Amino acid sequence: MATTTTFDLSLAIQRWREKLVQSPHFKAENVAELESHIRDSVVMLQNKGLSSEESFLIATHRTGSAENLEPEFAKINPSPLSKIIHALILIFFSVGCWFLWAMSLIPRLVTSRMVTRPLPGFTQLLMDWKWMLAVPPLLALGYCVCVWTGKVNTRSGWIGFFAVTVGVLMLLAFPIIFAVFLPLISWLEMLEIR
Amino acid sequence: MLAKELVAASTVPLVLSVLTEGENYGYALIQRVRELSGGKIEWTEGMLYPVLHWMEKEDLIESEWHEAETGRKRKYYRLRKEGRKALQEEKQQWMSVHETLTKLWQPQPRLT
Repeated sequence: MATTTTFDLSLAIQRWREKLVQSPHFKAENVAELESHIRDSVVMLQNKGLSSEESFLIATHRTGSAENLEPEFAKINPSPLSKIIHALILIFFSVGCWFLWAMSLIPRLVTSRMVTRPLPGFTQLLMDWKWMLAVPPLLALGYCVCVWTGKVNTRSGWIGFFAVTVGVLMLLAFPIIFAVFLPLISWLEMLEIR
Repeated sequence: MLAKELVAASTVPLVLSVLTEGENYGYALIQRVRELSGGKIEWTEGMLYPVLHWMEKEDLIESEWHEAETGRKRKYYRLRKEGRKALQEEKQQWMSVHETLTKLWQPQPRLT
């Protein structure tokens, strides 16, 4: 007796689709294109005399499993989670820069309250250039926009971005803290003289 | 069969070259390369699509869905100006590798 198990090609393709759709890295268009590819492949194999079940199995095997394809698609379609993490890092970085800018206002606030000698040169220089603190967050924003629109390959992911922002914050923080403390030291010296 | 690294490196120039013959869709691109290479270049077929999408983002190619003669829709890819330029550069690079290796592999004339 011949086997009578009937193979439903459309059902098999639908099941295969459902697997891909679960991953955030496949856009609807990607799945549609891969499905079109499988269907072309199945037709070609059937024309060679294979059954629809055999054709489907070979076609999906040649195309690659969802697990195999996912990392490749992840490079071009970063997951929404990665985009959200980029946004959070951007906020953290902007707040950090704003905090440094606020710190750079301290010497001026103090000098306006007590009339003392002029600010040290280094402090004055940094205060004149404090608007530059707006540049790093703007650059970071530009990078994030590229990530969100998929213009940049986020192979290094958010960890690289986080490392760079922390590094930049540290580099900016050292001279600013130094500049804020310089006038404090000179006031302390003055108090001692009095 | 070609080494994995060589297959990966040659994907972009192969796609660009096949598309100089006219617009085409993913499955047919793979078939064309398989046919021309005599089956020596075997892609994991699904892997071609992320490469095509990357090439599209880089403005080397453009795509459009149209209905094929079978009645089903397919995504067709077409070469752009930037793609032609990139292909020229790829050609020069691959040719210089090819020429160097050919010179090295030529039978050396023997004096004795």
